[in-house]
Order: sequence, then structure tokens, then C-alpha cells
Amino acid sequence: MNKYIIIITVAFSATSAFGQLDRTNAPKPGAAPEINIAEPEVFELDNGLKVILSSNHRQPKVSFNLVFTSDPSIEGEKAGLSNLVGELVLGGTTDRSKDQIDNEKDFIGATLAAGSNSIFMSCLTKHMDKGLDLMLDVLHNANFPQEEFDRVKKQTESGLLSAKTDPNSMASNAVTKSVFPNHPLGEVMTEASLKNISREDIVAYYKARFIPAGTYLVIVGDIKLEKAKELANKHFASWEGGVPYEASYNSGYFPENNRVIFVEKPGAVQSVINIAFPMDIKPGHEDIIKLSVMNKLFGGGGFGTRLMQNLREDKAWTYGAYSSTNIEREGAWFSAAGSFRNEVTDSAIYEFLLEFENITKELVTDEELELNKASMAGSFARSLESPRTIANFALSIYRNNLPSDYYQTYLKKLAAVTKEDVLAVAKKYITPKNLNIIVVGNEEVVEKIARFDADGVIVRLDEFGNPASMKTYKETSMDKNEVLNNYFMAVTGQKKLAKAEKALVKITSMEQIMSVKPQGAPIELTMTTYFEAPNKRSTSIEVMGMVAQKEVFDGEKGGSKTMNQSGGHDISELSPEEMDEKKIMNTLLPEMGLMSGKVEYTLLGIDELNEKEYYVIEYTIGQSTTKAYYNTDNFMKEMSETLEVTEEGPQNVTAKYSDYKAVKGISFPHKISQMVGSAVLDATVKEINLNVKIDPKKFEL
Amino acid sequence: MNNYFLTGMISILMLSVFGQTQKIEFEEFTLDNGLNVILHEDKTTPIVAVTILYHVGSKNEQADRTGFAHFFEHLLFEGSQNIERGEFDKYVERNGGTLNANTSQDRTFYYEIFTSNNLELGLWLESERLLHAKVENIGIETQREVVKEEKRQRVDNQPYGTFMEEAFKRLYKEHPYNWVPIGSMEHLDAAQEEDYVKFYQTFYVPANATLSIAGDIDIKEAKALINKYFSSIPKGQAINLYRDFIMMDEAAFQTKYEISKSIFNQENFFATTSKEGKAAIKKYENTPTIIPRPTAKEPALQKETVDVIYDNIQLPGVFMAYHSPAQNTKDAYALEMLNSLLAGGSSSRMNKNIVEKKELAVAAFSFNFPLEDPGMALVAGIASKDVTVEELQNALDEEIVRVQTELVTKEEFQKVKNQFENNFYSSNSSVAGIAESLANNHVYYGDANLINDQLKMYENITREDLMAVAKKYFKKDARVILHYLPKDSAE
Repeated sequence: MNKYIIIITVAFSATSAFGQLDRTNAPKPGAAPEINIAEPEVFELDNGLKVILSSNHRQPKVSFNLVFTSDPSIEGEKAGLSNLVGELVLGGTTDRSKDQIDNEKDFIGATLAAGSNSIFMSCLTKHMDKGLDLMLDVLHNANFPQEEFDRVKKQTESGLLSAKTDPNSMASNAVTKSVFPNHPLGEVMTEASLKNISREDIVAYYKARFIPAGTYLVIVGDIKLEKAKELANKHFASWEGGVPYEASYNSGYFPENNRVIFVEKPGAVQSVINIAFPMDIKPGHEDIIKLSVMNKLFGGGGFGTRLMQNLREDKAWTYGAYSSTNIEREGAWFSAAGSFRNEVTDSAIYEFLLEFENITKELVTDEELELNKASMAGSFARSLESPRTIANFALSIYRNNLPSDYYQTYLKKLAAVTKEDVLAVAKKYITPKNLNIIVVGNEEVVEKIARFDADGVIVRLDEFGNPASMKTYKETSMDKNEVLNNYFMAVTGQKKLAKAEKALVKITSMEQIMSVKPQGAPIELTMTTYFEAPNKRSTSIEVMGMVAQKEVFDGEKGGSKTMNQSGGHDISELSPEEMDEKKIMNTLLPEMGLMSGKVEYTLLGIDELNEKEYYVIEYTIGQSTTKAYYNTDNFMKEMSETLEVTEEGPQNVTAKYSDYKAVKGISFPHKISQMVGSAVLDATVKEINLNVKIDPKKFEL
Repeated sequence: MNNYFLTGMISILMLSVFGQTQKIEFEEFTLDNGLNVILHEDKTTPIVAVTILYHVGSKNEQADRTGFAHFFEHLLFEGSQNIERGEFDKYVERNGGTLNANTSQDRTFYYEIFTSNNLELGLWLESERLLHAKVENIGIETQREVVKEEKRQRVDNQPYGTFMEEAFKRLYKEHPYNWVPIGSMEHLDAAQEEDYVKFYQTFYVPANATLSIAGDIDIKEAKALINKYFSSIPKGQAINLYRDFIMMDEAAFQTKYEISKSIFNQENFFATTSKEGKAAIKKYENTPTIIPRPTAKEPALQKETVDVIYDNIQLPGVFMAYHSPAQNTKDAYALEMLNSLLAGGSSSRMNKNIVEKKELAVAAFSFNFPLEDPGMALVAGIASKDVTVEELQNALDEEIVRVQTELVTKEEFQKVKNQFENNFYSSNSSVAGIAESLANNHVYYGDANLINDQLKMYENITREDLMAVAKKYFKKDARVILHYLPKDSAE
């Protein structure tokens, strides 16, 4: 570079400024660059360990990845065992505690990670010896301390809890279980299977599978061949023993006809639809590139795919719908999925099926073929920037016995894919009459989706993909009215119903003051309730003297106000439906409202909880369904569970009542603990005053 | 040197495949219209990243028009004089590329990455965006809805997602860091087309932009192409004269400029030959564009403010926010190292003591928002089940007091230094990342070469510096504490 060139450019720019450049058309790209995929070095140690080296000196960093090649096994009642191995391998060695490992790793700024079949370490080249020392310690001397095992197990357990509320995890569990029964790909960890896993299981897994035989050492980064050979020989050549576990498995379950599989998610406002089926294909198969082109234009990413165009751009039923091909050594499957509003769940399934039909019947257009091929070629080229891609290519060539130029010729093969090829692979692998149609959602959609099942019998699975057992109650000879009548007698302490009713009717007003403490929060709230027969009620919650929330109903109308963040109040009025409900249910005890004859309620039977038995009464009002639990010994109400569908989704509220004390002969619970989601509120009654005069203003906002 | 002004010129070393780790070589120059250009050649992979950084972020917005900078990030994908609506990203996808953009308080950044034969396409796309993007109602209406969805998904619907907004608005009353890039949906609703046009004309001008290109390019060829697409973009206010010429009717144009549109070449403004036309262009070329930059200095906080925020979360959180130094200062480097000591990596003090040993938190953080003006330092934790915000806050404070009163041991300090060295060498792994770093370093530090030198800044920090910044910035009586509590507990 010198001044001469600069002056020329200056002159050029002077004449072209405000010149005749035609900006109206996009410039045509030049000739496509030649994509050269660097050849990694591969060598073998005396013990059979294969080393793959992808040198790259852009950064002074190096990484070592040990990849163990045992086949997975069926874990059965210990499903999920292998998922715990990775974290536990790093939990301590005979020489180092977990703290020491963490400290020494951070001291050199290294990354140390492990999975069920690998140990990975990366660091600056100059810290390579230290990094390898840590990696080797973990590899050879991991000792799985019991306390780490317990900690990780506890943590995993809370992870399972959240999977129970996530419809996408529920769908994916149902897919793997349905497509791959009796297969390692079809195993899902449950709370029960987690309990069955012992520390000894983990140790046995580690001993059997973290072995040199069949193992690959993948080295990437700033290291030359001689040094890599020297280090590999020094640290890994004398490591001997073991035989990789080998097993072969079926290639998945094809239903004879379309079947619908339903997983209930109470209160869901959206259904997750996932249509999945196995494919009989192994990595390295010549159809794979064609199949990936088919998948890309069907629903494999971007806005221009058929699924997106149809379901999002055209129908606006979803934020996104996607398809994927998953081709692994153990098995392969295709899946097409998205989340849809309840009302359009069946219509969306119809459209998915239509798209499956179309792709297997007609040639795709030239435009969609070219656009998607170009997009795939570009993303392949961009992926080559990472030296890890190069190493992974080499690893894949060896593990899957691919021709050595498999990736070198990828772009050529991609460019050669025709419309006819796409149709051919679609016909071969997509079987529009043998689909697993999996729906996770609200019970209300079940009726509408049954028509997609060939025999009309829907399979029901639970959140972990196991056959769902419907909740069962013990039968009882008691009738629903008897339960409530006994409850009235219990709270009034009367032996006769007529006297109990009389005692309750005598209560014409109530003032109740409670102190409420949210667990985990440093605040105390005061909740005051006023009641005047038959159905006037007001509840207000105060924080440090300020009204945070107030809800009133004066017998005819009502509403609520909530403090907003700017210190003012947001006010909303009750809807006509809500007012009708309040009129009936705002009685002193909700059970009195049930007895009015205006609300349907049922006795589900007897349920056993914590070694006590309860009569369970269920009733639905508007958008909320409540189950009330009455102790079979004394008919006192000890718990209620309400599932309410709000605008923000379903919400579960559980209230436990205890410390019943009589006020003027009527027993009221003086301790109420309420759980909303994971938040717990503990309320203690400070005062209950019956038949006092109440200022009518209390029932105004 | 008239038209080309060279600010930096470094000879290009031959890249050797098996050589030592390279310094990142680059060439930098400024076009006559003020556009800054940085070029980095790396032929390892045949791809190129074309990026452009506009030095405009939410801090350049008016207090009653917040969210504009981010809104423009969306709007400027809508099309231009020569790009139909909805076609911008198709040009990229059809040619196998990828594109995106992001906005901070300080800048807006756009990029495309594709195989290197598309360099010219990338330059054309970015020159269209700069010269004459479509800033009109139809695109504004569409993107307004998209931005609202984005806010719902990424802020409102994200657990603790509002902490940035809530903390900044309490930390900054004078400085426009008072609001965050996503801004106010009401402001976007209230804004008129002319507000948007004014924003575009003020900030989207060549003198406020840095074009940074990295990857498989030939420097000479790249310069010729940059010259082709960008040199003819008018300098000074002439660019807005042109934009108004295409957007305004005769009457509006006359009112604004007191000249008639007819004096310019009607087919091609740039081919204007009339004497008056050329004189007008000249006049506006020499009228520089003044980019408003905030000058407000925020007074130090005088007390501790504690507020409770109710959110859709399961576990309570504690967020303690402090004023932090501007990013190009020694204090900022020291504070970053302090953050790493407290919360960087599994052996960090907060992870070991608060998360693993005491099990008071499921996660604990300490970090700075790297901003051009003094910004925010944050120490935060998400409580474990059944742990109160007080217990967690006390544990966080305990760690802070410890760094204020005890000198860090030599060994622990060395660990932090080593972590920074590792980060430094890990950061430039992609051409897109290199292009962005070069542009950031030029704009914020006035020195693109910091990409090679930044490590020295950390090497100069001492253990005493860490203690000093801990005392200076983590002040108990000058901070904002947010307690995030589950919404249900407010009922």
C-alpha cells in the first residue's frame, strides 16, 4: 500500500462524486468463491485411541475433547442416569475437591466441561499443561463424593418440577416416548427414576464408559502436529483397558395408521402440536442432503418455508411453525411442530396434514428450491469459520464411516439437488398415513382432534410421556348434600341440621382482620374483610397503611382497585357475569351458596392425602374450578384447590385451613396458608367480630 | 490530501497459516463526507462481514420520544428508494447470507455476513440504508406493532426483565440514561412521521457512521467498491437536501429551502448541471450536520433507595445498582476486574460463598454496563427457595465490604488477570466480531487499534486499584436497591 494508489482513488472519487452511479439495481454477486475445507490431521496411538487435530493459529488457544463411543443402553427404571454423569464427573477427584478444581480451572481462565460421553477442556496455549493436568485428573480419578451426588440430585429434582409446567418439554417427552418405545432415544427421566439412581450407578457408568478403547481425542486450535503427537503420546498412550459397549436398536415405531396422542395441561390457552414419525435412515446415507433441502423448504427455518407461509403469514394462527430432521446413529425421526390457540388446534392439524400430503405429491417450485439451497450453501460456508466445525466433520467421517470427501463435496451435492430429488425423498420418508399427532393442551380440545385418529381412540400420556392414569377417588355411600350438611353441623357445633342452619342465618355481619406474611418477603400485610348478609362483602389489603388492593360488592354491583407502581390505583368494575356469581357465592360460607341450588356441584369421592381421608366436592364458577376437602372424621374443611384461568394463563391456588376456633359458637379457621404458584402466604386471624354494625361505605371503592 | 483523509495506515503483513498468533491488522480512513471506514483482511474462510455502526443510541433521544433509536433499527429494514418493502432481507437470504442489527444506549449496529463474492451487494444494501431509506407511515405502522411484541416477549414477559429499566430510571435523573433503548410505547404511538424523518436526517448521515468490514476481501478492490457506493453520498446537509428533494412536494420544499425543486435534475438529483442547482448543493455540503450529544452530568446519588417490584417470578431477586465510571477510564477497567473477582466463573467469591456454600442464591452476578458516559454497575442475586431478600442482600453486602476492607490476595488477583487474558484472546474468533470490535473501539475510544492493545489496560491495574474502586463506586449510601418479589405475594 502506498501513496500512489491513494491519489488515484482520490481522483476517481472526485469525478464520481455526484456522478452517474446507477443505484437502482442490486449488484450481481461475483463468481462464488472456492470453499476449501482444511484437512485435519489424524493419527492413532498404540492403544487404539484416534487423535483428530484441526490446527488454527488465529488465537493462542487450544482445546482437547475426549469423545467416548459406547452405544447408549436402555436405562429403564433408572432413566436419566447418563444425564447426571457429566456434572458429577467434575464433582471432585481423589486429589482435588470440587472447590480446588473450580479454583485451578479459573486460575488459568480455562473451561472444563463433561457430558455423558465426553470431557472437554479449553485454555490459552501457554496454560495447556496445567489444563491437561486437570482434565486427566478428572478423567482418571473422579471419586464422586456423596455430598456432591446429593446436591446435584436435589438440583435435578427441582428441574423436573419446571418440566411439569412447560408444554414444550411435555410435548418432546411424548414424542420420544411414542416414536422410540424400548429404545435409548425414548427414555425420559421422572421423579421416580431419579430416586432409583444411586451413586454406585454413576460410578459404574463412569468405569465402563470413560475408557480409551474406541475413543477419539479431538484437538483444535493453536498447536502444531508434532506437539499434538508428543502430548497425546505422553498423556493418553499408556491409558489402557475397557471394551466399548455395543448394542443395536430398532428404528422406531411406525403406527399402522395415524394416531392422536394427548397430554393434558390443565388451563392451557394454547396447544402444542408436534407431528412426529421415525425415518429409516443412518448418518452418511446418500439421501441426507436431499432430505435436508426438503426439510428446509418445508419448515426448516426462516419465514419463507411452507409451514410459516401457511400457518403464520397466511392464517396468523401461530408465532412460528417449524420442522426438523434428526438423524443420529441410534435412530432418526422427522418432526413438525408449533403452538396454536385452542380454537384453531384442529384446523392447524388439518393444515399440517395437508402440507405433508402436498410435499409428497407435487414438485416444489424452482424459486423455493433455489432460495433454500442458496441459504443452506451460505450457512455451510459461514460455519467453516470455526475450526471446531472442521474437527467435527472429521469426527463424523470416522464415526459414521463416511467417504473421506463427504464434506469437501457437500456444496457440489447440494447444488445438484433437483425438484425431482426433493419429491422422491419426500415420498420415501414422509408417510402421511402413519403419523404420531401429539397434542399438549387443554381438555376442551380433545373432542375436536379425535377425528384425526384412525380408530378414534386417543392415547393419553402424562407430562413425562408415560400412560396417564386418571385420578381416582374411593367411592362413598355419602351423598353430596350430606357432606355439606355435616360440614354445617360441624362448624356450628350442632347435632341437628335445622339448628345448624339457624345458627348460621343468625350471623348477619362479620368483620375479620388478618395479618398476612408472604414467605421470603420482608413485609407484613393486613387483610380486612367485611361481610353483611346475604351477600355484601369487601376485602382490602393494606401495606404500611396504604391500600394495595380492595375488592367490594354491595349486593348489586362492585369492583376492585389495585395500587399501581406510580402510587395511584387502577380501578376495574365487575362484569355482569361476575356480579351474578357474587350474588350467589358471597355468603358467609361459600358452601351456603352451593346449597342455594343455583350452582352445580359434585362429590368426587374420597381422596387420601398425608394419611388422612377427605370428601372432595368440586364446583365450577365462571373460569374457576374449585375442589374442597372435608375431613371424613369431623367434616371440617381443611383444604381447597382452585384452578383459575386468567388472561395470563392458568393459575393454581391452594389454601390450607387450620387452627379452627369458635367465635360466638361458629368455628372459623384462624390460620390460613395459601399457595399461589410457588409463592406462599401465611395468614393469621387477629380478630373476628360477628354481628357488628358495618359502615355502608365499606362496600364502596 | 483533499478527498481522502487518512487517519491510520498500516502495512499489511502476509498472513501465514502456521505463523504465530496474529495481531489484527487493519486499515482505517475517512471519506470526504465524513464516513469512517475500517478494513480488516482475513482470507482464512471465504466469507465477509459488512457492518455499519451509527453513533446514535437511546441517549440521543428526546425525553418525550424515547425508543426512537431502537425503532429505527427496525424501520431501516423496511426498504429504500431502490429496495421494495420486505425485500431487504430477501436479497441477503437469496445470496446465502445472514443479517441482523442491535441498539444500545450509545449506538445502533447493522451487519450482513455472506460469502465474499457478495461484498458489493452488502455495500449496496448499506449505502441504500444510509442514503435514502424509506421513512414513511406504512413501515412505521408495521414496525410499531413488531416492537410492541418484542417488548412483551423480551421485557415484560421475561422474569426480572424490567430490572434494567427500573434501575436506570432511579440512577439517572438528569442524564438520558434515565430510559433504556426499548423506550416507551406511548412515545412511539404519539410520534408523527415528521418526528421520524427528523431523527433519520439528524443521525443517519455519513459523518455519524463507521463502516467496518472484515473477512476475505482484497483491500484495493474493497476500497474501489466503497468509493463507488459511499463517496457519492452527499456530505453535510446536502444529503438532507437530496432526501427532501425526493420526499417533499414543491411547496414544502420551497418553504424549507426557499428554492424550487426545478433547479435540480429531475431524473437524477446527482446529475444536476444547472448553476443554481450546483450552488445550492455546494452550500448545503458546507453546512455541517450537528449531531446532538447529551452533555448532562448526573450528580452523585445522595442516599440509598430501596424499592419493591412485583413480577411474574418464582424466586425473589435483589438488584443493587450503583453509578459506574464511563467505559474508557482506568476505573472502568479496575471495576471490571473487581466484578470478575466477585462473580466471574465457578470459583468466584459470590458463587462459592453465596450460591454453593450458604445456598442463599441460585445465581449471583456482578457486572458493569459498558457505556460511553458513566453508567451502571450492578451486584445482584436470585434467592434460593425460602430465602428472604434481606438474607441475600446481607450476603451480597458482606462480599462487597470484604473487597473494600481487605486487599485481594496476590494469587486471587493473578487468577482474575489470567481470566482477562483468556477473554482477550477468545474475543476475536469471528470476522463479524472483529469488525464490530474495530468499530466500537474507534467510536468509543477513538482508537480502533485498542483491539490489539486492550490487554495492557488490564495489566496496569493493581490490587490497590481494585480496593479503591470498590470503595469509590460500591457506596452503601449512594445506591438503588430493587427487591423483586413474586406478584402473587402482593395479593
